[in-house]
Amino acid sequence: MDAPAIEARGLSKSFGAAPVLRGIDLAIAPGRALMIIGRNGAGKSTLLRLLAGLGAPDDGEARLFGAPSRKLEAADRRRFGMLTHQSYLYPNLTARENLEFYCALYRVADPAAESGRWLERVGLARFAAERVRAFSRGMEQRLALARALIHRPDALLMDEPFAALDPDGAELAATLIREALARGCAVALTAHRAFALDSARCTARELVRGRLLGAPIDTSVADRAESSPTHPGAGAR
Amino acid sequence: MAGFVAVLRKDLTLELRGGESTLALVALSILILVVMVFALDPAGGAADAPIAAGALWVAMIFAGMAGAARTVLAERDNGCLRALYLSPLDRGALFLAKLAAASIFMIVAEAAVVLMLVLFFNLDFDLRLARMLPALALGLVGFAALATLLAAISGRVHAGDLLMPLLAVPMYVPALIAGVKASAAALGGAQWSAMGQWLRIMIAFDVLFVAAGFILFEHLLGED
Repeated sequence: MDAPAIEARGLSKSFGAAPVLRGIDLAIAPGRALMIIGRNGAGKSTLLRLLAGLGAPDDGEARLFGAPSRKLEAADRRRFGMLTHQSYLYPNLTARENLEFYCALYRVADPAAESGRWLERVGLARFAAERVRAFSRGMEQRLALARALIHRPDALLMDEPFAALDPDGAELAATLIREALARGCAVALTAHRAFALDSARCTARELVRGRLLGAPIDTSVADRAESSPTHPGAGAR
Repeated sequence: MAGFVAVLRKDLTLELRGGESTLALVALSILILVVMVFALDPAGGAADAPIAAGALWVAMIFAGMAGAARTVLAERDNGCLRALYLSPLDRGALFLAKLAAASIFMIVAEAAVVLMLVLFFNLDFDLRLARMLPALALGLVGFAALATLLAAISGRVHAGDLLMPLLAVPMYVPALIAGVKASAAALGGAQWSAMGQWLRIMIAFDVLFVAAGFILFEHLLGED
């Protein structure tokens, strides 16, 4: 098995006296996904923040590509993408300008062409010249997906990627995640309920009161629902 | 270098669209200058050089506190500061880009204030005014560096927004005194040699805070 691209060892975090995460262990290899299921306040977003190196754990360690997340070199930061509740988009820049800016930060070749391609991909080509502040929440989430994926990351952390998306948008997000998995990207994503993604590559585990339960959740029901009218993203919203 | 250019270009694009930082700087600077002029009632001429220099620097500092830190504070919208932190962009380059953007906004504002100063104090557009420019330029860069650094710190602490006015002026005092003295000497018709010691203090201040920002910015952007 490949070395894990995303890893946590004994990760614990408290806010004041309240423990949020208690000894989380996980390892996600390239081309595999871990879906972290939990209620509101279960600690999902905190876990992803620590995995990204955005906060310091009280105990344990988060690692990306084998290196501590808080001390990633620029070369490793280029291989990693993140989607959160905040879109990381500039409201007064247009959709195209936002993507071109992130292309420049991540040194993506031909930013204009790549931004145009991704705007087409997420169904926002018509709105390329619109400022993001005029976007609906769903349109902003689509653009945020493009922002997180435009540099073809090798590891992705996604906090409720289906949030605010309509059925078409949720299907698009699921397709983009499957494509990322197929090219070898490791994905950690959170959701309120298990949903169909790719049962061969994706494992779902439940986060309850700061503990990641050992037994994987059976997503076969959700997988079967993939071909039914029930939308795969419905459970995540 | 590519990251520096990308962030600076983005900040200038945003400023051209919104104009929040520069407008706040210009409006506040002129307002403070007007108040000072009415309070001090200058007669005009070389005798007012210290008063004009003092009014100019008070306007610059108080307006700068409102505008110079905007380039960092605005990045908190939609979590963009986190995106920059997670990106491969060199954090020192990010500090320099923010410093450059803040300096440009302050230069635009100060150009307007100097024009007002000439009008209110009956100054001439002559060599005396030109001799004041190095002190102004050094003062702008030093204050922009300090404001950018404090804006990054304010994001990490409780009630951080109160930190700027509490810390900025006391920390800037050495450069402020040197700037006022050098400007007063220039406006009073003194030669370069009379301004030398004050300019050296300002250069030392700029070097200290630009270096501190370049080195510390990485640690200040992280979260606990």
